[in-house]
Amino acid sequence: MVILGVTGSIMEFEPELDRLLHPELSYITPEGRALSLSEIGDAASRRFSGEPVVAYLPSLSPNLSSQVVLPSGIAFVNQHTGEVLGMRTRGPTFLGYMRELHVRLAGGSFGRKIMKLSGIAMFLSVASGLYLWWPIKQVRVRGKWGTRRLWFDLHNAVGIVSVLPLAILAATGTVIGFEDQLGPLIYKLTRSSPIHVTRSVPPEPAPGAIAMTPDEAVAIARAHMPGAIPYRVQMPKYGGLYVIALLNPTERIAGDENVVALDPYDGHVVSLSRSSELSRGDRILAANEAIHTGSILGMPSRIVVWLASTMVVVQAWSGLFMWRSGNRAKLAASRPVETRRGVS
Amino acid sequence: MKKAIAVVLLLAMHAMAVDLSGKWSGSFKADGADHDVPQLFIFKQVGNKLTGSGGPDQSEQYPIEDGQIDGDRVKFAITTGEWRFTYSLRAIDANLTGDLELKSVDNRRTAKVNLRRAQ
Repeated sequence: MVILGVTGSIMEFEPELDRLLHPELSYITPEGRALSLSEIGDAASRRFSGEPVVAYLPSLSPNLSSQVVLPSGIAFVNQHTGEVLGMRTRGPTFLGYMRELHVRLAGGSFGRKIMKLSGIAMFLSVASGLYLWWPIKQVRVRGKWGTRRLWFDLHNAVGIVSVLPLAILAATGTVIGFEDQLGPLIYKLTRSSPIHVTRSVPPEPAPGAIAMTPDEAVAIARAHMPGAIPYRVQMPKYGGLYVIALLNPTERIAGDENVVALDPYDGHVVSLSRSSELSRGDRILAANEAIHTGSILGMPSRIVVWLASTMVVVQAWSGLFMWRSGNRAKLAASRPVETRRGVS
Repeated sequence: MKKAIAVVLLLAMHAMAVDLSGKWSGSFKADGADHDVPQLFIFKQVGNKLTGSGGPDQSEQYPIEDGQIDGDRVKFAITTGEWRFTYSLRAIDANLTGDLELKSVDNRRTAKVNLRRAQ
């Protein structure tokens, strides 16, 4: 549970931490108009031996760089000047390891089972803590530093303040962990089914046909999703179609699940899925995930999730000290009086 | 003379080795993952070079990169976006089995793959 808390608190601000760890690649000074995707892709491809562009990850903020996915890694480009800031090659990182610990204890199938059960254990721990707190209803911290009373008061005070967010985190995490088992039940209860997007095989292009540019593809996608912002553009060489993922900033639940797939030659829409058209079951599962990650209400809920995750560590720490102090007290009480006075 | 015959036989056997060209299907499950991921490859073999495409199904295919065949060993990669899949397989009977390494910009995972020639 401590691992869940520590890794969860780190993951809560993973994008921000990732940028802090790579400031030279991430942050730029906005100046002038933003270049087109083709210009950004050409700059990255030229810098890295003519590698083809696999996908674009356009910037969502003027002071953050755009990313171009290449076979050898992810290139970071200043979308205002075309300057290639550098590349990150694929491989494990500290933040990736934190996610692996959180999801599967970095230990494959066995670790995955442990972490799934840890969610249930955390929920039971929170419930038992509330049961123990209820008769005493202790909220204030009055004990002196280093005493068992301090740890007892701290455990009670922090516990009652964080009981609701921790219970919600444990419950939503358990639903995510057991989605294969709980998902069918949710769809059955809501009389809905998961939305499956089927895409037909793109037809062979006519001889001499020229594929449209990524900017033209994005313009078509935006026309179908007014107000949505493209955050990922997959190139047709990699997948057969232009696949454009868009973020709807007004949708708190699954706002990033808007996807338009286009024929790269004639531009007709092969498939289109909107976050607003998710089935009831899909929406419940997406809402569960948004609550667990804290994205449901934006920054305020992310801070609550971060605080609650951190409180798990405080609870474990204070609980451990209470247990140690209790054991010492019992040990001291069990010694003969002479020994306690220092007479051997 | 015997040595020469043995060399000729070996070369002939090598030339008669199974041509991987065609459709291959199967699945993989990354270590610690909850789901199997379907796989469909359309290989084109020319000598010891392997090209073609691969992905989860017919409608989503990515180009084969760095495809190499060395005896019964087959190595190739596909880039699906943020993830790069690197396959190290062996041709055993009518199967291609072996290891898959999945790497993203912050993660690395492994999986076992088994592919069979599709009809």
